[in-house]
Amino acid sequence: MVREIHAELLLGRQVVALDGKAVGRIEEIIAEPKGNLLAVSEYHIGSYALMERLSASRFGRALMDFFTAGKVGQGYRIPWNRLDLSDPERPKLLCPVDQLAKLKRG
Amino acid sequence: MKKLLEISLGIVTSVGGYLEIGSIATSAEAGAAFGFQLLWALVLGTVCIIVLVEMSGRFAAVSHHTISDAIRERFGFNFFVLPLIVTVLLNLMVLAAEIGGVALAGEFATGIGYQWWAIPAGIVVWLLLWKGTFGLIEKGVALLGLVTLVFVIAAAKLGPDWPELARSVVPSLPQHDGSRYWFLAASILGATISPYLFLFYSSGAIEDRWDESYLWANRAIAGIGMIFGGVIAASVLIIAALVLRPAGIHEITDYHQLPLLLTSVFGFFGLVLFIASLAVACLGAALEIALQQAYLVAQGFGWNWGKDLRPGQAPGFSLVYTVSVMLAAIPMALGIDPLDLTMFSMALTAASLPLTILPFIFLMNDKRFVKEHTNGRLGNLAVLLIIALGCVLAIVTIPLQLFGG
Amino acid sequence: MNLARDIIDKQLVDRHKTKMGKVDGLILALESGKQPVVSDIEIGSITLARRIGKRAERLVRRLKRRWGAKHSQEPYRVAWRQVRDIGVDIELALDVRETPIFDWQAWLKVKLIKRIGGA
Repeated sequence: MVREIHAELLLGRQVVALDGKAVGRIEEIIAEPKGNLLAVSEYHIGSYALMERLSASRFGRALMDFFTAGKVGQGYRIPWNRLDLSDPERPKLLCPVDQLAKLKRG
Repeated sequence: MKKLLEISLGIVTSVGGYLEIGSIATSAEAGAAFGFQLLWALVLGTVCIIVLVEMSGRFAAVSHHTISDAIRERFGFNFFVLPLIVTVLLNLMVLAAEIGGVALAGEFATGIGYQWWAIPAGIVVWLLLWKGTFGLIEKGVALLGLVTLVFVIAAAKLGPDWPELARSVVPSLPQHDGSRYWFLAASILGATISPYLFLFYSSGAIEDRWDESYLWANRAIAGIGMIFGGVIAASVLIIAALVLRPAGIHEITDYHQLPLLLTSVFGFFGLVLFIASLAVACLGAALEIALQQAYLVAQGFGWNWGKDLRPGQAPGFSLVYTVSVMLAAIPMALGIDPLDLTMFSMALTAASLPLTILPFIFLMNDKRFVKEHTNGRLGNLAVLLIIALGCVLAIVTIPLQLFGG
Repeated sequence: MNLARDIIDKQLVDRHKTKMGKVDGLILALESGKQPVVSDIEIGSITLARRIGKRAERLVRRLKRRWGAKHSQEPYRVAWRQVRDIGVDIELALDVRETPIFDWQAWLKVKLIKRIGGA
C-alpha cells in the first residue's frame, strides 16, 4: 500500500527519540537517483542542519557561527529506514540517538 | 558605445527617479529645523543605498533572478511571507504618499484641493502602467525627472557657506529638540534607503536583460546616479535651511509652505518649476512602487511577470498593480494630509529595514546565484553595518515618532 | 540532491523557458519497507496555504470553492519524471499551455482585461 506525504510539510517538524525526547527538527531531505527514480536516502535534523541550509557559503556559515556561538544544537543524519513517518506530523526515530551519524561542522 | 549610452540612460534614470515626496519632505523639514546639521544623514543614507543598489544590480545581472525572487527560493516560502506582507503594506503606504504628491502638485497649480486630484492622479499612474512599456516608463520619467535639477540650481544660487556644509557632512549632536533631531535623521534614512528602490532596480536589470557584461555599467549607474540624486535631495535641505529657517519657519506645518523652496529664488517661475518637479518626481516614484508591488507578488509566487508583456500575457501581474493603485488613491481622496502620511511612512520604512536587508548577506555570498561575483570582505562588512543601522532604526523609530514626530 | 535547498520553492520553467510557478510542494511516495520516492511536484495556492497552517488552507479552499473553477479545487501536480534539468531553475519537459496552471489568469484575462481593452 502506497501512502503519500508532503516533503515541504516535513521540513521543520520536530523528530522524537525512542524515549520521547526531542532530537531536532528536520531541516533537509537528501535524495539520490535510483535507476530513473529519485529516492530519499537520509534526513538531516538539528539546528546545525538549518545553518547548513541557510548558508551556502563559508561567509554565511561563519556569520551564523558568530551569532549563535555554540548555542547551536548538534545536527544528525537519519537514514531513511530509521525514521517512522506513519504520522508525518510526529516523526519518530526508530533507533537510539547515539547510533546516528553526526553532521560534521565546517 | 552602446554600453555608454545605456550607462548614461541608467544614470539619468537614477537621478530623475531619486527625488520623491519622501526625500522632499524629510529634507525640507530637516533644513528648516536644523539648518545644515542633518546633512550627514543624507550622506549616510546615500552611501547605504549605493551599496544596496549595486548589489541588487549585480545579483540580477549574474543570477537572472531578482532579490525578491531569490528570497523565497533561498529561504523558503514560510520565511518569505513575512517580508512579503511587510513590504506590500509599506509599499501601499508610500504609494499613497506619492499619489498625494502628484495631487498636491495639482492643488498648487489650480487651487483645487488635493483630495480631488487623488483619483485622477491614480488613473494617470494606472494608464501609464497599462499602456506603456517598461522602456518608455523608465526613460520617459527619467528625462522628465531631470527637471528636479532646478533644486540644485536654486541651492547654488543661494550661495551656501561651503565650509559649513562640509562640516555638516560629519554627524553632530543637536543643540535643541533632541528627539525631533533624531526622528528627522531616522526619517531621512528611511526616505533614502527605500527597499522599493533597490528591489525595483533588481527587477529593472532583468527587464533590461542585463548579464555579466553589465557589471561595470551597474557600478557606474548605481554610484553616479545615486550620488546625483543625493545632491538633489541635499539641495532641498540647503534651500530649506537658507530660505525657510531665516523666515521663522522651523517646522513645515502646512504643505503650502513647500513651494517657498523655489518661489523665493525664482519667483513665479519658481512656482511653475516646483509644481513640475513635484508632479514628475512623485509620478515617477508612484510608477516604480506600483510596478515593484507587482514584481514582488508575481516573483514570490512564480508567476509570469514583466512590464513589457502585454497585460493579457501577465494578468496576475497587471491585477496587482491595478489593485495597488486603486487602494493607494483612497487615503488622499479621503483627505488624509499628504505630509503627515509621508513622514509616517518614511519612519516605518526605516523601522522595517532589517527585515528586507538581512537576506542580502546570504544571497550576495551564494555562489549558486552570483557565481564568482560574491561580495568581497568590504561588501559584506558594508551590508552588516547597514543591517546594524537598520536594527537601531527599528528600535528607536517608533518611540521617536511618538516624541519627535 | 538536497530537496529543501535545491528543489522546494525553486522556479519552474516549461520547455520554452516560460515561468510557470514555483515548486510549492513535493510529494513523496511511501511504501513500507522501501525507500521513499519523490513522485510529484505540487503547484498551487492550497499547497502554499497548507505550509502556513491548517486554517490558512481551509480559508484558501473556501475561497476557491466560491470563486475558483471546478477543476482547480485541488493543487496541480507534475510527475517527477517530467523534470528535465535542475539548475538555478527547474526545467520541465512539458508546455505550460497544456496545463491548467495559467487558467485563473486566462479567466482573469477574459473577464476583465478584454473588457478594458489592453490585451
